[in-house]
Amino acid sequence: MPEPSKSAQQPEPAAQAAVPEAWFFCLRLLGGRYAFEAPLVTEVVRLGALTRLPAAPAFLPGVFTHRGEVLPVLDIAQLVGQGAVSLRPSTRAAIVHCGPWKVAVVSDSVEGLVSIPRRQLEPPPAESTGVAEFLSAVGRDRAGAIAVLDLPRLVETARARAVPAGSGAA
Amino acid sequence: MTGPTSELVLFQVGTRTYAAVVHDAVRIGSVRDVAPETLVLETALGVPCAQARGIVVMSHDDAVERTLVVDQVIGTRSVPEELVHPLPAFAAVCLVSGAVTGFVLLEGDPLLLVDLPTLVRERATVATA
Repeated sequence: MPEPSKSAQQPEPAAQAAVPEAWFFCLRLLGGRYAFEAPLVTEVVRLGALTRLPAAPAFLPGVFTHRGEVLPVLDIAQLVGQGAVSLRPSTRAAIVHCGPWKVAVVSDSVEGLVSIPRRQLEPPPAESTGVAEFLSAVGRDRAGAIAVLDLPRLVETARARAVPAGSGAA
Repeated sequence: MTGPTSELVLFQVGTRTYAAVVHDAVRIGSVRDVAPETLVLETALGVPCAQARGIVVMSHDDAVERTLVVDQVIGTRSVPEELVHPLPAFAAVCLVSGAVTGFVLLEGDPLLLVDLPTLVRERATVATA
């Protein structure tokens, strides 16, 4: 049996330098730093005037208009039952695409893009309550710890927890 | 050149203004002489304060007229259809009520568009449950 080549056993220095980095979009929420896969985010906008929806779940505080499009707002803090993001016209929201859903995720503040080498990402703590239920990994950059959210699963859970439209009135 | 338009009736419940397709309103009037059993007072839009006016709606299910009680009927507006938007998909699947169907962007602000027959049907369903 032929021996594996040297390059297969030990990466060359150039290959080590090319360890893939994962790009995340980071925001501050629930007193910590949370992030999700950067490609999910299309842009960051200010909320402006929020229109409340009747008979809406708490995690859907309303909708707002952005470039002629009406977008729903998702409050992750409300979804996980850990308070609510304070919503003002100046509040910034990350517009994300999660499967068929396009939502604006609000937070206390937006940090922006961060990169973490994938090998430094670790499994989340084995908790299943609150926001921990939706973590896919934890990592760290120069600014500190980051909890990585599985945003598509979070959005899908929000949808599933809401009462289907037409099933009753308030 | 003018495009297609939607004829809407604007009304208030509490402090909020809503829009509905004019065609869904059979007539508008006082609620004073309306039989109490046909009045729809509490809906997904809330409970009107003044309860001054009524929008008579033909229920799709049982072809019965019901009167949606509102605080004020502001009037009708002819709105270009490009200003009428459906509810965002995520919001549509999350709302308890199916009566909110979309938005009308008047002066840039989203005004909720309500399906009146669904609104009164939902209330009737709850009342008989």
